[in-house]
Amino acid sequence: MPNNRHIQPGVHYLQGSQACVEGAIIAGCRVYGGYPITPASEVMEHAALRIPQIGGRFIQMEDEIASACILLGASWGGAKAMTATSSPGFSLMQETISYGIMSETPLVIVDVQRPGPGQGYITTSQEDVMQARWGHHGEGSIIALAPASVQEMFEFTIEAFNLSEKWRTPVLLMAEETVAHMRERLIVPPLEEIRIVNRKKPQDLGIAPENYLPWGHDMVAPMANWGEGYNVNLIGLVHLEDGNVTKYDLQMHDACVKRFYHKIEDNVDTISQIETAHFEKCKHLVVCYGSVSRTAIEAVTEARKEHNLEIGYLRLKTLWPFPEKKLRSLIKKVDTIFVPEMNLGMMKHPITEALRDRCRKIISIPSLGSLHTPEYILSVIHEELK
Amino acid sequence: MNSEPVNAYNKPSQLDRFEIRIAGFGGQGVVTIGRILGVAFTVHDRKNSVNTQSYGPESRGGACRSEIVMSDGDINYPYVRKADVFVCLSQTAYDTYIHDLKEDGLLLLDPNSVPTDSIDDGYKFYSIPAMELARQIGSVKFQNTVALGALYVLIKEHLNEESLRKAIAESVPRETLEENIKAFGIGLEHMKAHYAE
Amino acid sequence: MKKHPMLKYLKEEGPMGDRLPMILCPGCGSGQVLNAAFHAIDKIIEEDGIAKENFVFITGVGCSARLTSHYLNFDSGWTIHGRTLPIATGALLANPELRIIVITGDGDTGAIGGNHFIHACRRNIDLTILCINNGLYGMTGGQVAPTTGIGLKTSTTPYGNTEESFDLSKMAETAGATYVARWTTAHPRQTVRAIMKGVRKKGTAFIEIMSQCPVHWKETPVDMLKALKKNSVRLKGDEAVPNGKIPIGEFCNIEKPEWIESYQKVIDQFN
Repeated sequence: MPNNRHIQPGVHYLQGSQACVEGAIIAGCRVYGGYPITPASEVMEHAALRIPQIGGRFIQMEDEIASACILLGASWGGAKAMTATSSPGFSLMQETISYGIMSETPLVIVDVQRPGPGQGYITTSQEDVMQARWGHHGEGSIIALAPASVQEMFEFTIEAFNLSEKWRTPVLLMAEETVAHMRERLIVPPLEEIRIVNRKKPQDLGIAPENYLPWGHDMVAPMANWGEGYNVNLIGLVHLEDGNVTKYDLQMHDACVKRFYHKIEDNVDTISQIETAHFEKCKHLVVCYGSVSRTAIEAVTEARKEHNLEIGYLRLKTLWPFPEKKLRSLIKKVDTIFVPEMNLGMMKHPITEALRDRCRKIISIPSLGSLHTPEYILSVIHEELK
Repeated sequence: MNSEPVNAYNKPSQLDRFEIRIAGFGGQGVVTIGRILGVAFTVHDRKNSVNTQSYGPESRGGACRSEIVMSDGDINYPYVRKADVFVCLSQTAYDTYIHDLKEDGLLLLDPNSVPTDSIDDGYKFYSIPAMELARQIGSVKFQNTVALGALYVLIKEHLNEESLRKAIAESVPRETLEENIKAFGIGLEHMKAHYAE
Repeated sequence: MKKHPMLKYLKEEGPMGDRLPMILCPGCGSGQVLNAAFHAIDKIIEEDGIAKENFVFITGVGCSARLTSHYLNFDSGWTIHGRTLPIATGALLANPELRIIVITGDGDTGAIGGNHFIHACRRNIDLTILCINNGLYGMTGGQVAPTTGIGLKTSTTPYGNTEESFDLSKMAETAGATYVARWTTAHPRQTVRAIMKGVRKKGTAFIEIMSQCPVHWKETPVDMLKALKKNSVRLKGDEAVPNGKIPIGEFCNIEKPEWIESYQKVIDQFN
């Protein structure tokens, strides 16, 4: 239950990084493991300050691999856990994310993206959006959210925990330096109005230890934590519902991987969130995500107002699983789709796959290392549509 | 989050943005002024504001910048597009940002850092010898609050003085509160004394 | 036939049972270590009144890791290569009531997990680490390990090993572990006693067990056990151990603040 050590309802003025930690605490995060990296260190510093105040445990680990592993252990130890890193550290966490997908472990990783490759730079970026989906080895889907404001750093972190507990899977918050460092209004609603999801427990479902299947019973299995007498053998190999790996065969392999793949991909419509503006009957469309959407809506509004362009706006609040069907049902026919991103056109690929027959042309508006200005987006639109 | 698409921008985008840029060197307290303004605008005056600061290796010791975008409505693009007010505390900052100031924008500068004879024609400028005045209360570290007092005079139609004083009290270390309030007053009085309303 | 008393800790029968025999090769020393660990924990459950469900076994990847996999009638984690210690640390952060036994190998601890190993010892977090050292990578086919002796031929040192090796027990002691002991699979009783001491120690306990891999060293298990017994010398004060011999016994047994307890003081300020 929320208590007075949570952030209080009302108006606050916080950095995105701070709002993220405050959201995590409200969601029930009680373990934070991390490793400093620019521009994500502010998240870690705020966690170091706040997590012990709420009775949780914070630890600075020896690297990002260890930080991600803290979440894995903590989650099976019964706590909701989080880490934050930036792109090079995110690369180091991929093996653990993969293990988390296979073992169906709820955990939340915040990536405050910076440009790459290599050390790249320490400014802002959306260059990890593909790594989020495809960076881990093996099949298996992932959930990734893209916040665009300090308010969303708070709300989406809570949502990330809720989704990870509901679907028993790692969830990624794909933030950027822009949104993590800016200070802005945060309105905290009455705490009792905030929806918190906790993992399903075999105890609550009346499942005794001798009948418990750690990866069975349902599409998303109830989860017994260590220390509860359920003799759970956590495993990273393909497994049967009871965790037995001696009876390996191709059918078991197929069923194991497809179940946790489909639990996410088949529920894309419930998981994914889309926001639109000036959308009805628009002739052209800007599709965007993260803080770029703040520039995009500014550009779209100006293009409509000052240049009478019939251009609409659509934002992916959830990047993965990719809402292909939802996009196809929303967008029947447009002329040109513009995709501004702080990379060289990464999300343009799944957008093209979904909408290539629903438009005349798809134009990437790339930016490396800085947020697009409205003038830049407008100039590309005008150049294309002149 | 609702799973249905939502129209988040029912109101037209607010083009009535008010933008302030403060720039100087690291250590002049540039970032602190930005944050204090944000708290004053948003927490106490219930307006919307976004505060960003210069970011990159140059923010350590070298040039430093803080920006505030204020609006009665939503703020989308978070950075300054064309500044309404530019508080300039170094020559480098002047050279870098002066052309992002609106033609009718206001320029507030420390004449000991930015020689006033180098100011481009056409910009209306106000002088505040912030460092010099701060020395009078014992330390140059209060120069940012002196500058904030002067800045307040330029933006008072948008901000309640009481809100700003509350924000200062909440943001500075308790042991320097008295000096900071004094510094704020000195900046404010200097402007009133040297520039007619 | 009378059943082995420790079979109760394995998923031998019942709805979740039927998982034996273990995958390990005949003559492998790992089973001996698991047996010693069961005996130690059995006694601790009986003598200290700690609930069985509080024990968690965590392994990484490699032959040693197969000791948990899916065989145990305990909570366990068969986790990521080299990452046993941060995962165990995370579990303890979530629930300090857990008694965590990490079973690992010389490759898991000394190579891929080397950094985590020294930092876990430095923090002195309440874990018991059992490191089965067979001097090579068994699971992947007998490659050289950071513990392989100089000159030895393995599948990746066909012309003989040219690298110096690590002394893992000395590393643990130097890095800050509060209980460190080394025994061999030829010293089963001493191993059980060391594990009991390790579990009872509030802090990081590191117990290295020199073990045989008859398959990759191409010797019989009996010869290897005899050699382990013959080549090991008990540590006695500062007395030097002759070159080429394996020092066995307790390297250290000291008291130092344990991390979870130290951090609890931080939390308690706010209560």
